[in-house]
Amino acid sequence: MSFLFGRARTRTNTLDLSKQAREHVLKLEVPGKGHQVGQLIVFRGPICNGVLLTLLVASPESDSTPDQVYQLVQGLIEEDLLLLLAQHLWRLPFESRKDTQVIFSYVFRFRPPTASPKTDPVALSYVVNNKPQVLLELCRGYEHKESATPAGSVLREVLKSEAAAAIILYDDGEEPGSSLKGVTAIERERPQSGSGVFWRFFDWIDKSSFEVAADAFTTFRELLTKHKDLVPRYLAVNFELFFDRYNHVLVQSNSYVTKRQSIKLLGEILLDRSNYNVMTAYVDRGEHLKICMNLLRDDRKMVQYEGFHVFKVFVANPHKSVAVQKILLMNRDKLLNFLSHFLEDRTDDEQFIDEREFLIKQIRNMPPNPVPPARQMPQGP
Amino acid sequence: MADGAIASHYQVLEELGRGSFGVVYKGIEKATGEVVAIKHIDLESTDDDIQDIQAEISVLSTCASSHVTQYKASFLRGSKLWIVMEYLGGGSCLDLLKPEPSVFSESQIAIICRELLTGLEYLHAEGKIHRDIKAANVLLSETGKVKLADFGVAAQLTNIKSQRNTFVGTPFWMAPEVIQQNGYDYKADLWSLGITAMEMALGEPPHANLHPMKALFQIPKSAPPRLEGSFSKDFKDFISQCLMKEPERRPSAKELLKHRFIRYAGKVEALQELIERRRNYDFTKSKKRSRPVYQETLQTMSTKDEKDEWVFDTVRSVMSRKATVKTRGPSSVFATEDALRRLDLKDGPLQPSSPASGTARRVTSRRQPSLAQMIGTGSVRGPPPAPALRKPLQTDLSFGNSGSSQRLFRRVPSDSSTSGNISWPDSNDVFTNENKTPHAVEANSKEAMLGRRLYSKAVDPALSELHAQTSALAKREALAKLSDAFAALDAVDPEGAYHMMQNLMANMTQDHRLSNAFLQSTTPLKSPDSGTQSGTVIIKSTPKQEVPSPAKLVLASNNPHLESHRRRRGSTAVEGNGSPRKPADREKAALLAKYPGREPQPGMEHSKKITDLVYGAWVNGLRMRWPEL
Repeated sequence: MSFLFGRARTRTNTLDLSKQAREHVLKLEVPGKGHQVGQLIVFRGPICNGVLLTLLVASPESDSTPDQVYQLVQGLIEEDLLLLLAQHLWRLPFESRKDTQVIFSYVFRFRPPTASPKTDPVALSYVVNNKPQVLLELCRGYEHKESATPAGSVLREVLKSEAAAAIILYDDGEEPGSSLKGVTAIERERPQSGSGVFWRFFDWIDKSSFEVAADAFTTFRELLTKHKDLVPRYLAVNFELFFDRYNHVLVQSNSYVTKRQSIKLLGEILLDRSNYNVMTAYVDRGEHLKICMNLLRDDRKMVQYEGFHVFKVFVANPHKSVAVQKILLMNRDKLLNFLSHFLEDRTDDEQFIDEREFLIKQIRNMPPNPVPPARQMPQGP
Repeated sequence: MADGAIASHYQVLEELGRGSFGVVYKGIEKATGEVVAIKHIDLESTDDDIQDIQAEISVLSTCASSHVTQYKASFLRGSKLWIVMEYLGGGSCLDLLKPEPSVFSESQIAIICRELLTGLEYLHAEGKIHRDIKAANVLLSETGKVKLADFGVAAQLTNIKSQRNTFVGTPFWMAPEVIQQNGYDYKADLWSLGITAMEMALGEPPHANLHPMKALFQIPKSAPPRLEGSFSKDFKDFISQCLMKEPERRPSAKELLKHRFIRYAGKVEALQELIERRRNYDFTKSKKRSRPVYQETLQTMSTKDEKDEWVFDTVRSVMSRKATVKTRGPSSVFATEDALRRLDLKDGPLQPSSPASGTARRVTSRRQPSLAQMIGTGSVRGPPPAPALRKPLQTDLSFGNSGSSQRLFRRVPSDSSTSGNISWPDSNDVFTNENKTPHAVEANSKEAMLGRRLYSKAVDPALSELHAQTSALAKREALAKLSDAFAALDAVDPEGAYHMMQNLMANMTQDHRLSNAFLQSTTPLKSPDSGTQSGTVIIKSTPKQEVPSPAKLVLASNNPHLESHRRRRGSTAVEGNGSPRKPADREKAALLAKYPGREPQPGMEHSKKITDLVYGAWVNGLRMRWPEL
């Protein structure tokens, strides 16, 4: 150990260091050696992370030069250390996990001093093009509650890059056109099989403990709201699969938080201008309206309230499909009665009161029989 | 759900206290026998984003220091979030300040400051700022260990109830740079530490005699407070180091740990004396207080009426159902609601004195909280306990982890019905419907219901808000007594409360000065029509004025910070201007009457502009989307 510190202080051969770090992390994998190996990891994990950290973060205390940092980042890439760290994140001890998180964010942000600030950071562009597994492994951090928070915060930072988001959305294992071969190999028009890492999020959000589920949901929301070109296209191609899972796993989850948050996110997705085509396709479906109307009757007021903000999109749509009109007409009297007393104690929510009035007016003024929409909406997004 | 199972790992015991964030219970982790504090936060009672809470929890979960209250776990139970924390039995420093002589000795303060600095050193090294250091947020273990509490979560969770509470409620500890909002860093914590040290030396923070709003202006304007009187030179110097107005000149936690005052501080065990003092104090007060025990709310029984379900099946006839369609609530509730609206207009002057009722974020819906019963009363059907037992505003000091005692009871107002009807004969009905209006059974006359409502919606929130903003001990006590008295009246005779307010109003109208002072603001509302007019004009015209060009709007609506506003403002009621809006306007007028003092508050005026702007953006967006709408 003192040997390692010596290295750190003399700052020679930083490449060696990443090799050593690799060996330390690799030892995590050795099965059967049992307790001793575990001890070693607990012992060395923090140290190698610590050394990496002092070198990486060019602070006055560590006085490492940008060149050395560049070397080290290269070393980390060449030794595949990022993948190892992502895979073994959950096994590391408490403080090491935090260090690893810092290492990741630092490495993914690092640009050589000569590079223009417009270029992608070196490690990120390497990962996106050559090692998508790193990102996929980070997502799998949600499999363990130990790694969920650190992996999640790294992911959310990385997801600011559209390419990184694409890697996660379009992962489809060995399928042709999957992101596994790098971002350029992605075939965006090919519908997803639903077994890629993105689709695992539904389970993580629905089935994990609160801490993991909430973190996974935050990342999920980032994925779906950040990139205004990528996501609408993705949703259009994978419309059926996505909303089927969304409605059945998330919106009707047993977890109060998942349910409430996903209804809210659904409203946000539908009302986002870039998702206009997705929205029109969504509100055409009678099935979707049924789910939504049932939310209005949920036991929990906030679920009712969030449901209302999706319901209003159906009613406000001037080109309601015949299926939607039928359901609304069939329940017209009930709805009018129901809405006039809906969440009445929200007396200081003007916006809500106005919207409720508007919906009542819209429903009241509907023609008695379904009319085919005046302007045929595009079938499908 | 995995989460449901975790809850059974804990045995929940008595209630420790109530905070703005919810209720805190003492509990035992069954596997280890370790005593823990468990916060229950009812997520149903907040409009805010659960994401914020989650973000704060993840920050908290990455803290591991013997000087910071240890976070253990959090999980969901229905709509309640349970946060399990380390239990600290010594109470907060504010609690410990209560018994005479209401100050700590210099040596005790030195110990506490050293421990706090160690905690801050850790947090700051982790890149975290506490932002709310004060005696109420410093907890002691029974052995005298000092820990920072309510880190992050409190700040965040307090925000849920009302932004004002955090910012305006306790500004005495705020660093000048925080108040001036020109950016601040970890140095702000050290200012607050200095103020806390003074609080412990003098019994209250500097400027405590001022209204919090006034203090807010005073702190950046005036010279830093100084410690006067018979204190050592070292202590005085330590304070003046902490209270450097320029953050750059203020030393860091690390540097302050080397200060003479700190270096010679003694062992934490010396603090046990304070805990002992507090125990004696409680004993002499002979408040053998029985605290409510946690009792599980049973699964809400489905109140849904089968006939009430939507019809998605084309075969069934809609018309035949018409007669059986049920409204969602008993009509009596609506009657009250209506009556109350009228009351709001007629008795409008009452509202200005009740700042809390104006909190825009307040969720007016109240649910019957999980049923709590008194320990030791044995028979639940016994007579109601003496009202004096209830201390809605007084801090219950025999425990720790209540979070800040300042905030301890802030949320009680709207929930106060719990404690109020704890031992009411019907209270052992465990199957109480969660959504039932509290007290509906007891208050059967219209007057009584209004009286109840008057208490829970106006009087109690007003008192607790005032209490929370008051820092002087004597004043707090007096307020607490008043609150107790009103609670007693409410429990026994809500109708009386109603009549009292009626008479009060009548008398005030007769006195010309009083009516000028209190009743003036409602004059325009006397005629509903004119009030409606002006209300509409003000509100509806603003967005159009605020919105110069669509280009700018797009920009604004892309701002992530406005996300939630935008969504709420994502109105479909674009053309609602033309629709009949009488009831909404009546509401609006009633609401406006509640807000006369609110406009000038810092932090509030811009939010209105923002919402208007975003609203306007959405109106335009929708027009572009569906022009023929």
